[in-house]
Amino acid sequence: MYRYDEFDAEFVNSRVAQFRGQVERRLDGRLSEAEFRPLRLMNGLYLQLHAYMLRVAVPYGTLRTDQLRMLAHLADKYDKGYGHVTTRQNMQFNWPALSDVPDMLSDLATVDMHAIQTSGNCIRNVTCDPYAGATADEIEDPRPLAELIRQWSMLHPEFSFLPRKFKFAVTASPHDRAMIKGHDIGIQIVKNDAGEVGYHIIVGGGLGRTPVLGETLCAFLPKADLLPYLTATMRVYNRFGRRDNKYKARIKILVRDTGIADFTKLVDDEFATLDVNDTAVSQEECERIASYFEPPTFDTNIKAIDLDSQPEAFRKWVATNVAPHIAPGYAIVNISLKNPERAPGDITAEQMRAVADLADRESFGEVRTTHQQNMVLPHVRQDALRAVWDGLVAAELEDANINLIGDIICCPGMDFCALATARSIPVAQAIAERFSDHDRQQAIGEMQIKISGCINACGHHHVGHIGILGLEKSGVEFYQVTLGGDATHTAAIGDKMGAGFSQDELVDGIERIVDFYMGERSGSERFLDTYRRLGTAAFKEALYAST
Amino acid sequence: MSTLKHKGKGPQAMTANELVSGLNVWMTTDYGWSRDYADALLTEDDDQISIMDETAKAEEFANTVVGAYFIDTVDGKPARYRERFRTHGPSYDTAALINQERV
Repeated sequence: MYRYDEFDAEFVNSRVAQFRGQVERRLDGRLSEAEFRPLRLMNGLYLQLHAYMLRVAVPYGTLRTDQLRMLAHLADKYDKGYGHVTTRQNMQFNWPALSDVPDMLSDLATVDMHAIQTSGNCIRNVTCDPYAGATADEIEDPRPLAELIRQWSMLHPEFSFLPRKFKFAVTASPHDRAMIKGHDIGIQIVKNDAGEVGYHIIVGGGLGRTPVLGETLCAFLPKADLLPYLTATMRVYNRFGRRDNKYKARIKILVRDTGIADFTKLVDDEFATLDVNDTAVSQEECERIASYFEPPTFDTNIKAIDLDSQPEAFRKWVATNVAPHIAPGYAIVNISLKNPERAPGDITAEQMRAVADLADRESFGEVRTTHQQNMVLPHVRQDALRAVWDGLVAAELEDANINLIGDIICCPGMDFCALATARSIPVAQAIAERFSDHDRQQAIGEMQIKISGCINACGHHHVGHIGILGLEKSGVEFYQVTLGGDATHTAAIGDKMGAGFSQDELVDGIERIVDFYMGERSGSERFLDTYRRLGTAAFKEALYAST
Repeated sequence: MSTLKHKGKGPQAMTANELVSGLNVWMTTDYGWSRDYADALLTEDDDQISIMDETAKAEEFANTVVGAYFIDTVDGKPARYRERFRTHGPSYDTAALINQERV
């Protein structure tokens, strides 16, 4: 995995020292809150509904085990003993004291981590396929590309004060696990007819109050042109993106209003003015970055596991949480952070250390976070799966519900977020409890429920098979439902149903549409397939059947 | 500086966040601060409201609290749902499960 060079380390350490001075000046009054607020936000520190919140960057969702142990250390020493994996693969701490944050950042810097550009109108953390480097369906490991974009975008002098925040997602697989059409720029590594590897650039996607799926900006961009082309795209956005209205400031609005054809021409015209050699990265530098992501040396002599002799709970977990690996004899292990009694994405310090220990023993010291608020051990020997499961059981991380109805994406909602209009965590817990029976979850099959506590859509509700939006009116929370959303390569924005529900009514309504699907599905149809076949009206009728 | 001016709609309370901890506080009857809304001063008295406003500004200037503002109250409780929610904290916190309350 990537390790900081002396330039990276010096920069992050100097930034810690700078922020320490800023906090000191804030605490002794030399800086007012108005002066300090943009400085703390640039370092990932928010003031939320009940307390400060520190968002730590996890670039492209890849963690070394010393980094995960450091996050556990922060949780124990400076917070309340847990962290929260976000839908952008980062980790948040809900209760830090302002006076402790410089020490937290200093501790993070010792393991090449920071909280820079996790807030503000800049290029945010680049998200990535959590199976990168481990899955057979990718053209190449997308993490060197994500790392290149990270280095290019970090404190980029032109792009640190954009009209609005800007999010990249990267994948190298036709099976999109990074939601590239839901980002300001999504990049898919592809091959052209000549067999050359390049980039499919998608622009103008985003969720929030105006959900839009991205459109193709360039179907095949040669590798060497990447940074100049991204520079041209960002310049067009920086120049023409609206700054008069924050709700219309994202690039998706510019692309929509300009039209993709005219927007593409603007980018191409800007690109034509650039000297590619000024911005492009040398082949040697690309190879240097890629060398950090060389696959581990896999054992080629691994015996197949005899599942029949294993406990039923283990077999169910393997069936649900384990994915095929590119190397024979290995597997990708998904660790669910969706225990029905906890908030989706929350993980205790003790559990972080348990995952780090398992990764050291069984996954070449690598851990991933996912935008679905889970974790991944990317390279596990199949004959070690039982040992991993035993370790997860001991850490209470053995929930076998990946991609099932219990695997709910959920923003912090009003329980923690200053922007939220309603709670989302209790809704996720109530749904998970209603469908807690594992056999029932398996019978229902692939299902993605996504819950947001406000229209900003951090819980990605627009692209949930079942999307839930929490709102509030006259002091009462209620929940609107969308159906048919899809976050994958067949991306779709969900269809809005009608009037909202109370929390109790909502859970009943979801059960009705799930039961309706179960009764109507044909063969191995997923919920999404049946919804697409039968259409909105039939499911809407089921949703509102008893109201 | 108060960020939300008193609108004069019934009894008012003054709220803010502690600068160091970030935790929610409400102005008390002796114009101090409490993390417990039950201690909050609720008043329609213009003189008291004026003192609350001046005190909050001074406390912000003294770096005790941040983001002070008035809230409307009804029947002794904050009128807005969001403000009611702030008075009792998260309805769920993983910290409660692991018994590691720190702040």
